[in-house]
Amino acid sequence: MRLVLIGFGNIGRGISRALIEKARFLRANYGLTPRIVAAVDEYGAAVDERGLKIERLLRAAERSRTVAAYPAKGERKKSALEVIDDVEADVVFELTPTNIKTGNPGLTHIKRAMLAGRHVITSNKGPLVVAFRELDRLAKRQGLEFRYSASVGGAVPVIGLAKKLLVGNKVHAVRGVLNGTTNYILTRMSKEGAPFDVVLRETQELGVAEKDPTLDIEGIDTACKITILANAILGMDAKLRDVRTVGIKRIGPEATRLAQEAGYMIKLVGVAKRGSLEVGPKLVPAGHPLAVSGTLNAVTFELDLAREITITGFGAGPRETSSALLGDLIDIHRTLGG
Amino acid sequence: MRVQIEMELEDVPGQLVKVLEPISSFGGNIRNVLHERERKTPLGRVPVRVVFEVEEKVMINRILGALRRMGVRITRIGEKEGAFRSTVLLIGHIIHTDIRDTIDRLNKLRGVRISDLSLAMGAIGQESAARATVTADDEVRARAALSRLEKIAREKKLLMLTSLGEM
Repeated sequence: MRLVLIGFGNIGRGISRALIEKARFLRANYGLTPRIVAAVDEYGAAVDERGLKIERLLRAAERSRTVAAYPAKGERKKSALEVIDDVEADVVFELTPTNIKTGNPGLTHIKRAMLAGRHVITSNKGPLVVAFRELDRLAKRQGLEFRYSASVGGAVPVIGLAKKLLVGNKVHAVRGVLNGTTNYILTRMSKEGAPFDVVLRETQELGVAEKDPTLDIEGIDTACKITILANAILGMDAKLRDVRTVGIKRIGPEATRLAQEAGYMIKLVGVAKRGSLEVGPKLVPAGHPLAVSGTLNAVTFELDLAREITITGFGAGPRETSSALLGDLIDIHRTLGG
Repeated sequence: MRVQIEMELEDVPGQLVKVLEPISSFGGNIRNVLHERERKTPLGRVPVRVVFEVEEKVMINRILGALRRMGVRITRIGEKEGAFRSTVLLIGHIIHTDIRDTIDRLNKLRGVRISDLSLAMGAIGQESAARATVTADDEVRARAALSRLEKIAREKKLLMLTSLGEM
């Protein structure tokens, strides 16, 4: 299978490392031999239709900060759109940074890839919150596979579980702790009784929170994921603006203490139900399956037959996310009869 | 009339069914049963809380009599004791936005009252937090109480946290 990677940051490198680590496994178990025929980042591209050496790709990206430094096959200023149009491939991975306003550049990349007849796998929430239905329809019209497991829950197979294993159920609602950064901050605040600002600063120093944590702490990242779940699992045509969103900025140690005294933990919970999409801090009874601590994510499905199912796991990190991306790749391979 | 009784049962099979039987046979409409196996008493008994409704007060005595004759240990009886409790957290300038008024406006609803309130003051100039237990006689009233409180919170720019599954 010929792969194109658009975006070679943490996630792109993560899936590349997983492809090295799992090469033998994929061949032995699924008869799958993926070849990266092109990789693109913001400075340029590396293209080799016979397959790039992944170790060299990683070395180029680490030493020279761009895949364009790949020996002989690298080219500076070669753009993603040129690569999508010119390089023959089966699957395009869209792994560029998220832009929740326009969805770009990811949205354009995905559309162009589909128009060129490529199956698409993405971790990018931007295109999914801006144009989910459009992309879903385009993929169907083109007879292509479109997968986005990595966009929600990281390693936690939220979308796959609902769309594959629970298909005999009607999903009434999905509730989840979907943002590791805020969950980490709330956990530390409740354990240490330190003020929000102090915990946030330390969380940033540890590299758990980003330099600009606005999207996380204002609940917008969770709202993006709720939008995607509403579209992908509940069949809605939801946009980010449909989600009533409250962040955790006003939660202080006083609040976490009062909650704890009554047997609750404060969690930033996203809820997707037909007719009501919301994100906000909630009181979760200690011992409830959603009362996960640290950077963990957890999602509960409310179903007609199975009643309730909750899954928990790591929602971020390049290695964890590669679990979802690789799962999508194998899934497409099998769907196509490989 | 809604009644809540708490009793302790032997931890052997069939006990729960046995005590529910006289409640329904004397006309009690069982609304809620909480069987707390993980909270065994030192004597190895299991606490059970049953909420049921009866038409007339006289039926309660018949039910209690029947249970006692069976040797059931009844630890607590509450009449109309708000069977629906919700814990909420409020964050903001709770005192300055007249907490008295907040409580009064909620207590004005029939069958609803704030049965517990804890306050934690923030640092000077910072927001405070309060935890309230809203008690209501039935589910409809409980829901009305929470939406009233949410309206008040919005008006006073307080952030209101409800527990999972509510609202």
